[in-house]
Parts: sequence; structure tokens; C-alpha cells
Amino acid sequence: MSAQEKNVTSTEDLRPMTEVQARQTREFVEGLNSQSKPYWDLVAVGDERSRDLHIIPELVILYADGVEDFNPWYEGWLMDQWRIEGSSPFGPAIVPPLLVSHFVLSVQFDHTKPFAIGSIHTYHDSEILAPIPVGATVRIHTKAVEKFIRRDRRYVRHVVTVTDVASGELYLRETRDILSL
Amino acid sequence: MSMTPETARRPQYGAPAPDGLITGETPVGFELIGVKKRALIQLMGSRVWGRFNPNHWDTHYAHSTGLRNPIQTGEMCSAYLAEMCVNYFGRHFFRQSRMTCKYIASIHANEVITTYGVVRGKEAHDGGVRFELEIWAENEEGEKKTVGTVSVDVRP
Repeated sequence: MSAQEKNVTSTEDLRPMTEVQARQTREFVEGLNSQSKPYWDLVAVGDERSRDLHIIPELVILYADGVEDFNPWYEGWLMDQWRIEGSSPFGPAIVPPLLVSHFVLSVQFDHTKPFAIGSIHTYHDSEILAPIPVGATVRIHTKAVEKFIRRDRRYVRHVVTVTDVASGELYLRETRDILSL
Repeated sequence: MSMTPETARRPQYGAPAPDGLITGETPVGFELIGVKKRALIQLMGSRVWGRFNPNHWDTHYAHSTGLRNPIQTGEMCSAYLAEMCVNYFGRHFFRQSRMTCKYIASIHANEVITTYGVVRGKEAHDGGVRFELEIWAENEEGEKKTVGTVSVDVRP
């Protein structure tokens, strides 16, 4: 048995399921897979997209819990209180520094089309310019600036800005690369 | 959103130091103690993380694309590294900072990842001190997964 094979963990170990769950999972995956197209083919240099994201407290909790970051500065929602103003060094609760960077993918990938599921995020250069209060609505703007091939792999580069819809304050500026099938 | 007086009085147990742990006096070569996390497939496949792509949570699909196990979204590792930076820089990390991350190897389900950081440079300016750090994340076998840099202004 090779070292690679030895490191393979079975589905049963990682994610135990009954046959009902397994069938539902297969249907879901096959549905995603059947509609997917390579990201490379979906994007043209110069493509610009923009969406507004209302960063409600529950979204922040879902994001932070997913990476087990339990910093109380991010808590605009507590189990026994529900929505609260919260507290951080800036006053009320704030958003984790890279939360908006994560949601860029919901803008650079055209959300009206099936997701290009073979894509992999490979790089980001993020300027975190100002704290974002929980409850803010931000505008995420992306522009495809380059498509390039490196070592036989296809990449798409975007530049991104995230601004406050109400005040216009610039919160984040970013360059990021996606590896496409 | 309303805030009850009881909520306002609650202490924030476990919060980072508001001003962080790094001061203008912190020397070049200082090593941060990072965070350690297991790449749990249930979190990797949650809706706000990797649910949109079965390579992040479905073993059968991952095998079909040549992966030995599902892989984390790179942004999860960036979030681990950012958590370490918030622990050390506190409020300073949220203003005029910069973080680069290059995902050089995939993080597979069930791997234990630890983050690291080292101060590689510092420069005083009128408003404080600008720190430059090397950051990275690796698994238990010392295989680097993500490498990057951080720049942060520590101001009085």
C-alpha cells in the first residue's frame, strides 16, 4: 500500500451516513456536477460584477463557527440574547477581518449560473483597511483583470473592492487568483 | 439592534487583548504562537464554507477528481492565520493592514493544522511602527500548506 493510499480516509470514518443520507448526497453532487462548466470558459478579462451583502449577525456567527473562531468581538448574536449590539475595541461588534474576502467568490462567480465546481482558490493579497461593523451592508465589486497559464494550469485573476453601501468607506482591497479546470 | 444592560455588563472572557500583544518594542525575530485546528469535514462542507463544491466535503467526488480526501477551502486557512494575527495585533489588525496568502498544498479532511508567524522586519514612522511578518500554516508532519506575509501598523 502506498503512502498516498494509506492516507485515504473512508467516507464512513469522515462522515457517517445512512443509505438515505448517502442517496440524498449523491443526488446533490450529481446535480452540481451535471451543470458545472470550467471557470476559465465562464469569465472574460474585463468582466465586472457587483453585489451588495448585508452582514447580519447570524451570518458572522456561521462564518466564525466554521473556523472555530470564538472571538467575542464578532458576536452580534448570542444564543440566550439573540441580536445584540455586542462589543469590540471599536465599540459594537465587528466582522472578522477576512469574512468579506470569503464572500467575494459569490460575486466573481456569476451567481445566476451553476457554480464551476472544479475551481480552486490559490492566492489572495488583501488590504484590510477599516473595521466593518456587524449589520453593515457592503458592496463587493470584482473585475477580471487577467487570465494566464502557468505550468500548464489555467488561472483567472480578479481585483476586488469592498465598500460600505451607506457611507462609501473602503473596507477591503484585494487581488486574488482562481485555478480553473 | 437593542442591547440589554445585562449584555453590556458581560465580560468578554477569552477575548484577545484590545491592543494586541505586539508593541513597538517587540523585536525582529519574535515568534507568534499560532492556533491549531483539525480540518473537520462537517465544517468544511457547511453552507457558508464549502457546500457549493463537493471537493470540499464529499469523499466519493474528491476521489473522482484525483484527491485522496476532500480539501478545505483555502479561505479557511486564511481565517486561521487571521485569528492568530488578531490575537497578536488586536485592533491594529483591522486598520491599514495587509495579508497575502498562497495556498501551496491542499489541506485534507482530518489533518491538524497549526499556524505560525515570525516578525521579519519593523520600521518606525510618524504614526507608530510598521511590522512585517512571515506567516504560514503546516500539518502535523511539518508540510507547509499556506505561506504568506502580513504588514501591520502598531499605533499608540
